[in-house]
Amino acid sequence: MSEKPLLNVEDLNLYFRSSKGIVQAVDGVDLQLDYNDATVILGESGCGKTSFAKAVLRLLPRNVESYCGSVELDGLNLMELNDEDFRLQARWVRMSLVPQAAMNALNPVMKVGDQVAEPLMLHQGMTKNQAMEQVEDMFKRVGVPVDFLDRYAFELSGGMRQRVIIAMALITTPKLVILDEPTSALDVLTQANIFNLLKRVKSEFDVSFILITHDIATSSELAKNVAVMYAGQIVEVGDAKRFFDEPLHPYSDKLMASVPRLRGNQELEFITGKPPSLINIDMGCRFAPRCPKRFDKCDQEPPVFEIGSRKVKCWLYEEK
Amino acid sequence: MEATQIEKRVERPEVEERKSDSDFMRIAKYMGVRLVLLAITIVIGVYLAVLIANMGGYVDEIRKGVIKEQVGMQIRGNPAYEDLTAEERQKLMAEMVAQEIRRLGLDEPFIIRSFGFLEQALTLNLGRAEYMTSDTGSKQVRLILLERLPATLVMWGASNLLVFILSLLIALGLSRKYGTFFDKMIIALTPTSSAPAWFYGLFLILIFAVVLEIAPFGGLVAAPPPENKLRYALSVLRHLALPAGAILVSSVPLTAYNWRTFFLIYSSEDYVDMAKAKGLSSSKIERRYILRPTLPTIVTSFALLVITLWTGAIILETVFNWPGIGKAYNQAIGLYDTPVIVGNTVIYAYLLAITVFLLDFIYALVDPRVQVGSGTGNQL
Repeated sequence: MSEKPLLNVEDLNLYFRSSKGIVQAVDGVDLQLDYNDATVILGESGCGKTSFAKAVLRLLPRNVESYCGSVELDGLNLMELNDEDFRLQARWVRMSLVPQAAMNALNPVMKVGDQVAEPLMLHQGMTKNQAMEQVEDMFKRVGVPVDFLDRYAFELSGGMRQRVIIAMALITTPKLVILDEPTSALDVLTQANIFNLLKRVKSEFDVSFILITHDIATSSELAKNVAVMYAGQIVEVGDAKRFFDEPLHPYSDKLMASVPRLRGNQELEFITGKPPSLINIDMGCRFAPRCPKRFDKCDQEPPVFEIGSRKVKCWLYEEK
Repeated sequence: MEATQIEKRVERPEVEERKSDSDFMRIAKYMGVRLVLLAITIVIGVYLAVLIANMGGYVDEIRKGVIKEQVGMQIRGNPAYEDLTAEERQKLMAEMVAQEIRRLGLDEPFIIRSFGFLEQALTLNLGRAEYMTSDTGSKQVRLILLERLPATLVMWGASNLLVFILSLLIALGLSRKYGTFFDKMIIALTPTSSAPAWFYGLFLILIFAVVLEIAPFGGLVAAPPPENKLRYALSVLRHLALPAGAILVSSVPLTAYNWRTFFLIYSSEDYVDMAKAKGLSSSKIERRYILRPTLPTIVTSFALLVITLWTGAIILETVFNWPGIGKAYNQAIGLYDTPVIVGNTVIYAYLLAITVFLLDFIYALVDPRVQVGSGTGNQL
């Protein structure tokens, strides 16, 4: 990493207030992403993946308790911007989002073409006609028939909606696109379709992806790097190939063992217990209560150990 | 290459059939169907009114009895008939009664005559009032009612518009300030809507007309009415203040509270987050991504409100001595003036139908999902 990375997140925290206490949804997350790179963030449901995406995009709900850390994107320190500057300089200019549940991400009473054109008119000051020309072009590139411009979201199938959203995410050619479970609501064929599209888009558009998913099988298609999140923290980061062959963290190990394989009749494993609630977390390693390799030291919070270019947050790797 | 081929093959079922309808055709079709349905509703409603007002034909029997009695009195009171024998007198009476019944058309069966009534009612050929007269002295029911219609339209048009605008603004404000003091205050005020407008009307008259003496007790304009058109309008506005105020007090808090909740629900939709992520300004998000998608729901709620308000018109107009058709209705009931009651019902049926039609039209404008006879409308 000689050059400055595209995205540099350091010690990002996002805590929510709730009636039971403070929820540490994102807790001290560090993450780097290069230009033209793709990182997949893996983890179970409820481990803070979506909250991380929201924290980077500053899409905060009302009950935020604390939100701090440092996020640098394309030479811009995001955390120092006020809301108005953030809106005009970061949102959809430098990064865009393909949200979870894309079925619901389009305004039901606006034509989809208008919705895709909106960021162009806003951020690049285009007239409606100019913007619509670009949208038409973009629709062709992501495989949406051009006459869908004048349609409403309810007239499109799930796959088409997702393509429209992807067109929308790319329309202002941002450097970073955050994909929050982009295919979770789609059938398998359409999923494959969308992933092919994303692969093509990535090479054509010179864009970096953060892909958030719990679907390990499909993520291996796209990712260069993998980050594993557990209970609001990133427990392992490394390049995808080596990660999928030999994960370091016991949690990653278990996660990989739970993926069905086509050949071989090995029994699928699962992890006993469930992720801890993120309220009033005990000291020590958060995975310890479910960890098969637990030992005495796990009562203390593990630091991040570097093994080559990979990083892992586990006491097992202390002496290595 | 292989990948793109697969993609193309799979893409096919995703492409839906292109609908040739434009927005205009869609709305025109929808409104056409609505118009036919409303027309049928009016016909049925008015026919029911005709049946009820005639007590299912029993009124005919009463009228026949009355004719017999009148003819009998006539014959007994007429000295020219004194020499006739009882038999001749009976015969004469039967003849005269039969003639009178024929003259009035009562010899036809009621069921046939009822369709005649229906036709007359629907074409606003409302006949003559029995007791009431219009201000110009006419006994034509149509004139009596049409003369009073503008006053009613002014009052209900103005107050419904006010209710809509005020509720919308307050609801938007509240949804922005969720959980603040102002929000809680409006929620606390919502039980005021459990009492009807005329109830508040009484209090408003007591406070502003009796104690403070700053507003008139009722009526449409000052007496004598000002000559100048502008002053006339101002005087009407002054008289409108209390009844409109009564409607606002009874309708706005609950409506605003309802709509605020709609806004809150709709503002937690994913596309609102998406709009935020796109960097739209908050006023644009509010207009395009919260207000617009919520409008269909709001129009529905408003339509229901307007219909309930129409039914309250009779008492409110009476309380404020407002010379509209609601008050005429009340008078007609008091005088048992059947033609006016039926005529009034017909006018109300038309007013309701026009209201519903207009709101349906607005609904079709604001919601592109509205379509004739397809199930796609219930997808959100």
